Amino acid sequence: MAGEDLLVVEDLKKYFPVTRGIIFQRQIAAVKAVDGVSFSVRGGETLGVVGESGCGKSTMARCIMRLLDPTDGRIVFDGRDITKLSRTEMRPMRREMMMIFQDPYASLDPRKRVGFIVAEGLEVHKLGTDAEIKRRVQELLEVVGLNPEHYNRFPHEFSGGQRQRIGVARALAVNPKLIVCDEPVSALDVSVQAQILNLLKDLQQDFGLTYVFIAHDLNVVRHISDRVMVMYLGHAVEVASREEIFKEPKHPYTGALLSAVPIPNPKLGRERKRIVLEGDVPSPINPPRACWFHPRCPRFREGHCDVETPPLYEFGDGHVAACHYPLERWPMTEEEIRRPSGAAAPAKV
Amino acid sequence: MALLEVHDLKTHFRTDDGIVKAVDGVSFSIEKGQTLGIVGESGSGKTVTCLSIMGLNPKRNTISSGTAMFKDMDLLSMNSRQLRQVRGNEIAMIFQDPMTSLNPVHKIGSQLVEAILLHRDVSTKTAKARALELLKAVGIPRAERGIDDYPRQFSGGMRQRVMIAMALVNDPDLLIADEPTTALDVTTQAQILNLMVRLQQDFGSAIIFITHDLGVIAEAADEVLVMYAARVVERGNVDILFSRPQHPYTWGLLGSLPRLDADVERLVQIQGTPPSLLNPPKGCRFHPRCPYVMNICKQEYPELRVGGDDPNHLNACHLDQETKDREAAKLLAGMMAEAS
Repeated sequence: MAGEDLLVVEDLKKYFPVTRGIIFQRQIAAVKAVDGVSFSVRGGETLGVVGESGCGKSTMARCIMRLLDPTDGRIVFDGRDITKLSRTEMRPMRREMMMIFQDPYASLDPRKRVGFIVAEGLEVHKLGTDAEIKRRVQELLEVVGLNPEHYNRFPHEFSGGQRQRIGVARALAVNPKLIVCDEPVSALDVSVQAQILNLLKDLQQDFGLTYVFIAHDLNVVRHISDRVMVMYLGHAVEVASREEIFKEPKHPYTGALLSAVPIPNPKLGRERKRIVLEGDVPSPINPPRACWFHPRCPRFREGHCDVETPPLYEFGDGHVAACHYPLERWPMTEEEIRRPSGAAAPAKV
Repeated sequence: MALLEVHDLKTHFRTDDGIVKAVDGVSFSIEKGQTLGIVGESGSGKTVTCLSIMGLNPKRNTISSGTAMFKDMDLLSMNSRQLRQVRGNEIAMIFQDPMTSLNPVHKIGSQLVEAILLHRDVSTKTAKARALELLKAVGIPRAERGIDDYPRQFSGGMRQRVMIAMALVNDPDLLIADEPTTALDVTTQAQILNLMVRLQQDFGSAIIFITHDLGVIAEAADEVLVMYAARVVERGNVDILFSRPQHPYTWGLLGSLPRLDADVERLVQIQGTPPSLLNPPKGCRFHPRCPYVMNICKQEYPELRVGGDDPNHLNACHLDQETKDREAAKLLAGMMAEAS
């Protein structure tokens, strides 16, 4: 199913300045929200992005969409460098890439009717006459599982799951190639979450869509993704195919995330050994030296991890991880994790 | 005798649109040192059940009935003065949102001290020592300094630890935790779950654990109550509930869950949306969404009764035992097959 690279992101950086002063704003520091992330997404596949709050997932998504201007790096969409495009130059590109937001309550204008919300993109890009647009909107509402007669209703008349369907219809309206989904199911109940996930999968098959799917729930990411990128403190620490990342994680942070996910199976849950990370995610204003994960890492080796920044080591088949002491196998007990066997072969990417 | 025995609890709210039956005939009991998990979707009445026990619903528009016997006292018939003696002392509650349940203008330490002084006749100095001891127990790093910090200086996980410390100040017999980990990241959630298990061993409290996450339930609970539309639809030991679920709603919940231990191409969808509690469907409340619906389901509400081998495993469904066993086995076999 996967074809050419649709989206290539190279060394993307986004720093937010921290300033002091009222008239003369001096920059005193920077929040390094995204600090050198590279990846590519092939046409028709789903790239899942996981990480904890504050790891830069959403900032990265907004940079890809050019809703934020990246500080540095390159974004190539469909063979065209869009990093430096102006607003006007960007406008035709916006048809090709759409976004679905997390909060279905805040992302729909409460004073506009559903028909208008879904049609807005079509009207901006002048895709058809009024009658054609109306027909298209009704068709879209049906595609996402809403009643086309709800055309004239307001968002408050819908439940959370239905609102998220409206958000999906809006994203689909202009026939985009890429949809960036920023935590689209996090605010929903499990039964509704299942409906939306199934819908997104169906639409991908029917329309050949490409997704960048951001979530903090590994279960959800595992269900929907073809490849997964794990982020920590503004960096991609591991990228691999779905099978590999869940069966053979290499980065200790990925391992810790996996073992922290509660399994709805009491027997398995009790047998499983948990790796519980100490402390909190450090501040991105003043991130740790060298490896970003070293203050919390169970495999931390003094004089190496806090001195030399780990490059992305290659583990075959597009599986990369930024760790000097990658996990030898999985699952591991906490004891085994603490005793790394040796450094990774320095096969830099 | 059970520590808390709730019988036929009903909590109805008067609203402009009519009477909302938020909890409609819920019964359960919990023993000392046990963890009871209550699971269900938003609006199923999980939180209101616990607020009713604590007497925290607005008096103005609430109609409550039933009994909640806690150590030979009926919590539901107590007046506010008596309830204040119990709340925060013998029964404590942890709320979902650690960001808003601490007072932002008071120091962490003085909020803890206040809770101690309300119920204990001790000096401020003793209370402060106790506060410090608890902050250490819940794993706040550098507790000596943290005690003089404001909530905003703490991260989400740390604040939830403070909430837990505050709930534990008076060694409660019963701890009600309302979605204590929902607002947290997975790694922080793992820390908090571990902490709660450890503290339960140390302090021996009973815990009522409310969550919508079946994964958390599987890890934390001994007994499980599945709620749907203000009623209990299934209840039983955690192992039995997960290995032999008996109610179609529980099947739907389990099937709709994307999970790490199984590969499913397509998630099971529960059709439709939960009903309005203003005007719940006649008969079984799940019947409009149930794939196994029969005529009787539309007429008669199925009472909770024993299903399967365990006398404590109850479910409210009209389906015959054979069908239930077959469907439950099918659901689980599907997951296992895909897992291997």
